[in-house]
Amino acid sequence: MKKNQPKNRPKNLNLFTIRLPINAVVSILHRVSGVALFLVLPLLLLAFQASVKSPESFATLANLCNAWWLKLMLIGLSWAFFHHFFAGIRHLLQDVHWMTSLQKARFSSRVVLWLVGASVLIFSVSMW
Amino acid sequence: MLIELLTDKYPGMRFWLTQRLTALVMAVYLVLVILLFVIVQPKDFDAWRAFVAPIWFKLATILFFASVSTHAWLGVRDVLRDYVFHQGLRAYLQIVVDVLLVFYFVWLSFILWNI
Repeated sequence: MKKNQPKNRPKNLNLFTIRLPINAVVSILHRVSGVALFLVLPLLLLAFQASVKSPESFATLANLCNAWWLKLMLIGLSWAFFHHFFAGIRHLLQDVHWMTSLQKARFSSRVVLWLVGASVLIFSVSMW
Repeated sequence: MLIELLTDKYPGMRFWLTQRLTALVMAVYLVLVILLFVIVQPKDFDAWRAFVAPIWFKLATILFFASVSTHAWLGVRDVLRDYVFHQGLRAYLQIVVDVLLVFYFVWLSFILWNI
């Protein structure tokens, strides 16, 4: 920081008064969903292990997955996956300079959110 | 030009490219496996075992998970650098994450080996 700048420059980092633009929402949710997917990795590995180990462990897992609270958690997990997937593909396309103007980026953000919503809905309905 | 970007002059570019390449590997794997799962629809234990047993599925899954761990390593690294300002704590958390990811990879290899 330059010396002649005042130390008490006004700054506003209150998240409750900042209205994030849609591109920022998609971006921060990409980060949030990524961290969520990382944290849930051991549970996914446990589930995969149980599913292939023996008929008994497979049945235990299948029973567990019938619980309503686990189904709700799976829906939440599916959101994290689909958001990270579609927002990630959007970032990849922007890396090759596709739809990078502000207007087009806003449009692709909306497309991502709709795709995520539709995917989570399809997943939830077919799972329940 | 791309080659020059990958030399020691721009060390961050390798991480940048790695993050994207692993993303592509994961995307291709997931789309193919989800499609296959929807088509085959393995209903019980035997069908599920038959679904995951082929050697190409295991090899593809290992490649997929290698991408997952590399991608997660770089992603968590960025998150730690953005939000954890205490250098010691950040280094400690990074080591914990690295060890976990290596452990997950060995664990998955073990699971696949035993199918």
